[in-house]
Amino acid sequence: MDELEAIKVTFFQECEELLADLEGGLLAMQDGSSDGETVNAVFRAVHSIKGGAGAFGLDPLVRFAHVFETLLDGVRSGEVAAAPDLVALLLRASDVLADHVSAARGMGDVDEALSASMAAELEAWQSGGAAPAPAASAPSDDDDFDLASSVPAELDDMDFGFTPMTVVVDEAPAEADAPSGWLVVIQPKSDLYRKANESLLLIRELERLGSIETSFNDDAMPDLADMDPEASYLTFTVKLTTDKSEADVREVFEFVDGDCDLTITPLSGGEAPIAAAAMVEPEPDVEAESDSSVDIAALISAATSAPVAAPVATAPPPPVAMTPAAAAAVAAKPTAMAAPPKAPVETPGPGSSVIRVDPERIDRLIDLVSELVINQAMIAQRVAEHGIPQSSNLAIGLDELEQLTREIQDSVMAIRAQPVKSVFQRMPRLVREVASMVGKQVRLVMEGEGTEVDKTVIERLSDPITHMLRNAIDHGLEMPDERREVGKPVEGVIKLHALHRGGRIVIEVTDDGRGINRPKVQQIAVDKGLIAPDLTLTDEEIDNLIFLPGFSTADKVSDVSGRGVGMDVVRRSVQALGGRISISSRPGQGSTFTLSLPLTLAVLDGMVVEVADQTLVVPLAAIVESLRPKPEEVRALGPTGAVLAVRDSFVPLVDIGSTMGYRANAPDPTEGVVLLVESEDGSKAALVADNIQGQRQVVIKSLEANYQQVEGVAAATILGDGRVALILDVDAVINLRRREAPAPKPTEPMIAAE
Amino acid sequence: MIDHTTATVGERRELISFRVNQQEYCVDIMAVREIRGWSPATSLPQSPNYMRGVINLRGAVLPIMDLSSRLGLGSAEPTVRHVIIVVKVQERMMGLLVDAVSDILSITDDLVQPTPDVACDRVRSFVRGIISLEGRMISEISLDRLLPEREALAA
Repeated sequence: MDELEAIKVTFFQECEELLADLEGGLLAMQDGSSDGETVNAVFRAVHSIKGGAGAFGLDPLVRFAHVFETLLDGVRSGEVAAAPDLVALLLRASDVLADHVSAARGMGDVDEALSASMAAELEAWQSGGAAPAPAASAPSDDDDFDLASSVPAELDDMDFGFTPMTVVVDEAPAEADAPSGWLVVIQPKSDLYRKANESLLLIRELERLGSIETSFNDDAMPDLADMDPEASYLTFTVKLTTDKSEADVREVFEFVDGDCDLTITPLSGGEAPIAAAAMVEPEPDVEAESDSSVDIAALISAATSAPVAAPVATAPPPPVAMTPAAAAAVAAKPTAMAAPPKAPVETPGPGSSVIRVDPERIDRLIDLVSELVINQAMIAQRVAEHGIPQSSNLAIGLDELEQLTREIQDSVMAIRAQPVKSVFQRMPRLVREVASMVGKQVRLVMEGEGTEVDKTVIERLSDPITHMLRNAIDHGLEMPDERREVGKPVEGVIKLHALHRGGRIVIEVTDDGRGINRPKVQQIAVDKGLIAPDLTLTDEEIDNLIFLPGFSTADKVSDVSGRGVGMDVVRRSVQALGGRISISSRPGQGSTFTLSLPLTLAVLDGMVVEVADQTLVVPLAAIVESLRPKPEEVRALGPTGAVLAVRDSFVPLVDIGSTMGYRANAPDPTEGVVLLVESEDGSKAALVADNIQGQRQVVIKSLEANYQQVEGVAAATILGDGRVALILDVDAVINLRRREAPAPKPTEPMIAAE
Repeated sequence: MIDHTTATVGERRELISFRVNQQEYCVDIMAVREIRGWSPATSLPQSPNYMRGVINLRGAVLPIMDLSSRLGLGSAEPTVRHVIIVVKVQERMMGLLVDAVSDILSITDDLVQPTPDVACDRVRSFVRGIISLEGRMISEISLDRLLPEREALAA
């Protein structure tokens, strides 16, 4: 029962992939590429889901998949035309199918009414569009597919339980068609061993070309008394299953030319290797050697019946050296036969080249590698302390070690890297649902789905993207009528684009809607008391107001937005990942939301600073700029407060040392360095440090694993000298400061930002 | 490094005893992962004063607790002669800063006497019991209770 459950889990994993393939295929069809392969892929996806579901007795899923599949079969055979309406229907059907899969998995319910009406719609299209079930349709030129497609029509009224077998049948021909290869008979002459060659090594070489079955004949073995220990008496017969040419096989024996008698005969193809070998016919092409051919045939059957290392009962075959012409003639045929089966190898089935690994093992590996990186840095630092010259062997060796560790780190990080496709593939459905909910026509264009990001980041991409897409449809795009009036196509286009830029992943959501209504946005912000009424803001600043907590542009709370999650929450969750979100908008032409995230959460770009003899790391993502303040730029405010004048605005000065409790009194800011930082609510602050050591990529280490969260500290890292350094939580530091000495007005820093 | 695999299971238990500010304490050897010399710790802001900070334990961030301060015996002035006992409490690793490790005791539970009714609540909550051995008085520490209060509540 447990085993069945395990298989079921695998089935649902496959379902995820199949559903993604299905949707991908349908979207491709929507974009006009309804070629045979796409339709086949779509059909196959539904068919495979149905097959698996049948095996597990998931009846509702099977019933729906069956109706779906029948219509797709019609499309595949050309009986039903792939009209745009049909594709839209199929897309909706794929959503219902996905619901069925989730329900079968015990996650969520199926809307029975929806499912039934969808099934009816599919059936209606089928009967309206074409003659039913084209069981005897023209065979597809794709053999691989044909086997699968011929099954369902006959299966319609049968128990679906054995449908999965079609998959097996599907793959079987690839095996059966495998080329047989060559029968190699090696009879070493005595000199072979004297020249320091070894038949075992030759056989091993053969094994590299394919799978081998080896037997030997010891008939020539004399009595022990007569035996010359350095001579060779054994004849080896190697049945080599491979698709390599005879020339390749011959190449193995290049260096033993003349030291052994060699016979290479093709095994016939087209049947299972063992059976083929047993029934092998003497090669008709090789007229002159018919005698030896018989012997070889006998030998083959002997080799087959007494495999690996069993002595061959028959007489040793007379050594035959083929004439080059004959050899070529023999070689030609099997080579031709060997070619076609290559194709299935090149296009492996889904997941065949993928290893499923427990993520914990990878995490452990990543931990170990970061330890290695730290250790390497420690050694480098120690060596530098001893004043060893750069040109010394030790220093050169260390450089090489550093490069190697970098490469190892990159490779290990790459293990966890996954294409963003896994997140993107859920979005078309979301867009369809949201679009139909708000009554808009939307086309989603996705680009850069192959862009790879660390798994830890991928897992957290879904929410912000979902929200940005919802926003774009609900707020960004106009209603169809409105679009028509301004001369835009009725169908709005939303582009979801992923790309790498400067060591970060950038996700852009672009709509071609009305753009941000700036006067309205500013008015709302004023009405809600978020900004002062008389404030003059740049366009960019107004756009960014929508990230303020408590802001919503929707006139009324709709089903889509207004779920209590505003852009401020999105922004906070993005910033928690060390990312940034920005917006750019052009009235009447649309808006672009840009999300920029680190590629991995395991390392962080930081500024290493010294504060009160402590070394701290400030995340680079939070830093706007760093500067050395001049005395005239520092102004006192109130009894203890101070602000820094930055280009006509005033930013509160926060001494890191005293805020973190490392020292009692803040030093004179003009003697230190100031880091201008931006916190999650958009407010700015000037953090005072004693000194800046430099910019560095640091490995993030959890403080909570062994201790607990510490206010003002985001995490820890280990520096080159092996000591622990804390990574500053910029927002928390600012908040800590506020608590101790409240800023004059809570909203002021926000507005004083620029 | 102590080989804790040799600890006996059953009646006899093995304990590691150590000195903290002239007093002798011990912990169950099964909780001890390693013993190492003192190395300067990175101090943690907003933390109780008995937390000395964190050190790098082969890539992991290990919090160090000043046991003397935790037991109310005053802060230690760590020198190179001080010792950190790395213990595992629940799923977490922690380093205990002590003066010196004395020895390994093998005891049976009947040697453990209940903690005398002393006035100090702190001692009573941290000490499981007292072992009398060859004229020495060794208090067995209950590691679970050493953790900072906030965490103890969360766990």
